[in-house]
Amino acid sequence: MPITGHNHRDVQRERKAVWLLPAALEADILLADLGRTFPLTAEQPRRTTATWFDTFDWRLYSRGILLYHDRTAWRLLNRDLAEEVAALDAPGQDGWGFCQEFPVSRVRSLLEPLLAERRLLRLFSNETTTIDGRILNGDGKTVAQVMAETHQIGSEPAIATIRLQEVRGYGRDFDEVSDFFSNYGIREQVNPYFFFAQGVRSNGRSPLDYTAKFRPALRPEMTARQAMVTVYSDLLATMRRNEAGVIEDLDTEFLHDFRVAVRRTRSGLGQVREVLPAGATDTFRQEFAWLGEITGPCRDLDVYLFEENRYRTRLPEKLQPGLAPFFAELRSRRASARQRLVRQLRAKKYRKLTTAWQEFLDSGGEGEVTKNSGLPVAQLARRIIARRFRRLLRAGRAIHPASPAEEYHRLRIQGKKLRYTLEFFSALLPEEELELVIKELKRLQDNLGAYNDLAVQQGQLREYLAGLRLGSRRNLEQAAAIGGLLSSLDREQRQVREEFAGRFAEFSRPESTELYRRFCRRAS
Amino acid sequence: MSIIAVYNIKGGVGKTATAVNLAYLSASGGQRTLLCDMDPQGSSTFYFRIRPDRKFNADKLLKGGKHIDRSIRGTDFPGLDLLPADFSYRNIDIALDDMKKSKQRLSKILRPLCDEYAQIFLDCPPNITLLSENIFHAADYILVPLIPTTLSHLALQQLYAFLKEIDEKRMKVLVFFSMVEKRKKMHWELMQQLIREPGVMPALIPFLADIERMGLYRQPVNVALPQSMAAAAYADLWREIKKRMARQ
Repeated sequence: MPITGHNHRDVQRERKAVWLLPAALEADILLADLGRTFPLTAEQPRRTTATWFDTFDWRLYSRGILLYHDRTAWRLLNRDLAEEVAALDAPGQDGWGFCQEFPVSRVRSLLEPLLAERRLLRLFSNETTTIDGRILNGDGKTVAQVMAETHQIGSEPAIATIRLQEVRGYGRDFDEVSDFFSNYGIREQVNPYFFFAQGVRSNGRSPLDYTAKFRPALRPEMTARQAMVTVYSDLLATMRRNEAGVIEDLDTEFLHDFRVAVRRTRSGLGQVREVLPAGATDTFRQEFAWLGEITGPCRDLDVYLFEENRYRTRLPEKLQPGLAPFFAELRSRRASARQRLVRQLRAKKYRKLTTAWQEFLDSGGEGEVTKNSGLPVAQLARRIIARRFRRLLRAGRAIHPASPAEEYHRLRIQGKKLRYTLEFFSALLPEEELELVIKELKRLQDNLGAYNDLAVQQGQLREYLAGLRLGSRRNLEQAAAIGGLLSSLDREQRQVREEFAGRFAEFSRPESTELYRRFCRRAS
Repeated sequence: MSIIAVYNIKGGVGKTATAVNLAYLSASGGQRTLLCDMDPQGSSTFYFRIRPDRKFNADKLLKGGKHIDRSIRGTDFPGLDLLPADFSYRNIDIALDDMKKSKQRLSKILRPLCDEYAQIFLDCPPNITLLSENIFHAADYILVPLIPTTLSHLALQQLYAFLKEIDEKRMKVLVFFSMVEKRKKMHWELMQQLIREPGVMPALIPFLADIERMGLYRQPVNVALPQSMAAAAYADLWREIKKRMARQ
């Protein structure tokens, strides 16, 4: 449901319209002519400057929302309805990046679910000069509002518009003025925020130019090699897009997206075999393994730091203070891990890797023909998906309540491999069925992922605990807090394990397996 | 959403000025506000330079729904709309009397407007009729501008008695002193006496020429004379009213 300013059931909304002024026409001339036909008063021009914000991946724009700061307040707009939805008085406070920095307010509560961990980045600033005018009737009542605006973005030539706003109950007057404009030659209507795309482009980006969604554009007539080169090229582009954000530490999602691209690349190189020349495959497998390693520590610590509030709530109040030094330590570890990572991303080894990989992919994966390189991609896809699914089923069926933890972790890896394969070849698979399949797989993976997560957390906490010197009071409190956490996490892990049987039964039911069978037959 | 009726059986106590100025303050505070002019004299309608639709009349008002929607007009001020009065309202009691649940009719037609407006004001005619009874049932608050004289006090007592008779809570009534001339001993004494009673607010509106002249400049006083004493007095009054509403 779109976000709007207030409830409106079957209520008529006052109409508004914005027209572009033809290049030669100036606002004052237009208003003067308008004033000769209708009684009109106009104010002195006023100037507003606005800075526009969104996350790197357009979390606001993609939902039809625009956000700006106009030197006195933050304003959140519904782009399509062209109306302000919420505002927050905050003179001069245009430096906020994360939703937690915003004071509790409607703006914040609207931003929070959308932004999550991402930071608001400045997109562009613009200046608008407005002449407010009012069309009056014989009683001196305002029957329509006109605003002549001149928009300035950076050093681009200014654009002039005229805006007409209906006053409730005076529809005829709105129509008369609209007709006047039309007869005057002003006919090009635009969205009031038409300048947004241009503003974004003035800083080298364009709306929706980045998404974390991964849908490589494969075509059924591609060979396996052509297809995988396309997949890897997409992934490399994603890595590159996120580099700057990682280095500048704008928010934690840049590293996350970077790592996911690395993981997908590794998965491809490992699973979709004998498609690229053997030598290249081996070399790059090693290089990407290295990349996975160097990005791991910082990301792990990021994830940990997300847990801070949740960890606190797991503990009885008396134990909670013990967590403070624990998280302080994590923060300092994270800072060092990040520094190390940035050094490596700036160093020659990384540059050489990305350059070599880029060149290799640009050449179409040049090198000797391999067993699968010439296969039609659909055929290869079918084969791999079928194999992955069979293995997952087999591994899952072998698990029983007393199975050791490693078997769950292995199953999770199997699930991931299937997931990645489905993602690689998604363009070739029937959309509706794919959605269903991924949904089901996700349900299973969520359970396995939660289990693994809890195991990893406990492992790391135990490790941390082992490294604590128990001399001081502060460390004793930390140890007690961590002990409390461990038992809470353990309890939860048991619960998750209990749910597994049901989830897997759902996943492996005949309808699902039938779905995969149909899938693998139809993939083309 | 709440409905505030500005009411006094006596005329000339500042009802319209109050309704107009408070409605403006409500809207400029960010709340979508509707002022319903219930007085066939149409003073608030006049203050906003609005004329009712020729097709609008008391019967249309009582029909409610789209008949009302079509008659609502935007004022010159963002977030503030007006439902104009019509001279045919002088006979509204006759139409009401004919209806079933004749005392709850107004409540019924105002209900749907609650989705659209955060605050509704009713500018009431100076009388006590079936329409008034409708207003007392429909309103969440009855705001009474009181000129501090003996007869006004008497009128207030009559109001309380009437509310009791029609089974409405006295708690709905919020009183403030209007057109106060602090030099007049009677004003001062009566205010001292009444201020102790529940529902009587400390905020007051002095007798001011600026308010008297509203009919000339035809704008809320906070727009025409934002720095004036009158503007400040209404702002204080609105603040006090909001406080009381929040408490309940």
